[in-house]
Order: sequence, then C-alpha cells, then structure tokens
Amino acid sequence: MSNFKDAQNKAHPNKTNTLMSALIVILILNVGIQIWLLYTGLNNALGENKDIALPAFIASLVLFLIGFFWLYFLPMGYRKK
Amino acid sequence: MPDQTTKEPNWKQDFPIERTESTKVSRRDFARFLCLVSGGLAVGSGYVAVKANFFPDEPVKGEHFVCKADSVPTGGTRSFVIDGSTIPYILIRLENGNWRAYEQKCTHLSCAVYYKPGSGQIVCPCHEGFFDAMTGDVLAGPPPRPLPALEVVLKGNDVYVKAASHNTTSI
Repeated sequence: MSNFKDAQNKAHPNKTNTLMSALIVILILNVGIQIWLLYTGLNNALGENKDIALPAFIASLVLFLIGFFWLYFLPMGYRKK
Repeated sequence: MPDQTTKEPNWKQDFPIERTESTKVSRRDFARFLCLVSGGLAVGSGYVAVKANFFPDEPVKGEHFVCKADSVPTGGTRSFVIDGSTIPYILIRLENGNWRAYEQKCTHLSCAVYYKPGSGQIVCPCHEGFFDAMTGDVLAGPPPRPLPALEVVLKGNDVYVKAASHNTTSI
C-alpha cells in the first residue's frame, strides 16, 4: 500500500527541490526566532526580570519540536539499492 | 575468488574517502543540522529558565568595608572585590560629592568599565558603551542593561557598600 512518503519519493525532482527549499527556509526561520527568544530570555533574566525566561523556553521547545517533526517531510531522495 | 584490493592502487587504501564525499553537505544533512541547532537553542533557553527561577544569584549580604573616604580623591575611583565573591566592583567619588558603586563588568560583553573623570559617565572601551555615573543607566552604545549597582554607605571616614535597595536614595 502506498503512503504519503512513497508518493513523495516518487515525485518529480522539481517538486522535491521546492519542498526541500521550503523545509529549510522554515527551519532557518524557527532557529532565528529561537535565537531571539534565547537573547530576550537571557537579557531579562540578567536584568532581574525572570518572568520572561519560562515562556521563552516553552516557545523555544515548541519551535524545536515543530522543526523535529518537520524532518518527517524531508524527501528521501533516490536511494541506491 | 579475485582479490579486489590488488586492482586498486595502494594509495586508495590510505585515502578511501573521495574529496567530494567529505566536503559535500547535502540538503538533508543541512536540514538535520538546523534541527540540531534548534534543539541546542531550546536547551539553552531551558538552562536560562531553570537558572533564573531556581538558582538565582545571591544578593550581597550585609555591609562591606571598602576603603577610607579620604583615600579616594574627588573624581577618583577605586576597584574592589567583596569577600567571598569574584565580581569586580568600582567605587566612584563623583565631582558633585556623590558616591556610587557599580559592577565593573559591562552588561554587553563583560569588559571592564572605567569612570571618565569630569564627564559623569562610565565608559566601556571595548565597544564604546556609555553609562550614567549617577544612575548606572545606559546612555549610548550596545549595552542592553544598566550597570548593577551597590549602595554606598558613609560612616565617618569609612566607606561601606551594601546591596542596593530600589526605593532608597544613596548618598
């Protein structure tokens, strides 16, 4: 039985390229937001404003999990058998 | 059964990996690496959150003797360290007669700051950060936060410092 991954792996290389670029752009965006969250959380924690640190961590963790499960959509490429 | 290795030149045994194989980063690997960086940043944020909420820095307890008041000229400074701590502080006798004590670490990248006599400003020479010597607030430059301050207490000719309380005015 064919599933999503099989169909994706048989897709035209143009589609695979677009998909790969989109995935990487989203991941870079996530990392950019995480850098900002870390900077903000650290800055506020050092400035005795510790209430920011926990929400920043939770947001950062959610972004990481999104990025992690995002990798499921990575095209497999043409595997040598 | 033929021996495969005899057909290859000897140097290939020493260098079995092709140059393109070792230098090429595939987009799959790049995406995975981005995910790894993302995890590292999440761990870093977690460390900050745990440190801020459960292991905060201890405030300075009690009063600590720094020096005699007449050993610091007007517009002069003195560096000091509180017993049991490694944080460097700077004691400033301002031209207007006020005494101030701040951490001597710039809030940007922890360079040592110094008081510029006559200007009322504390300067970080690394990246041109300027702080107000009266309040510790950032006047210009990259520092993101004011300098952490201590409260100066004068007892006769002796200068003491203690943890700054937010709603009292120091001398």
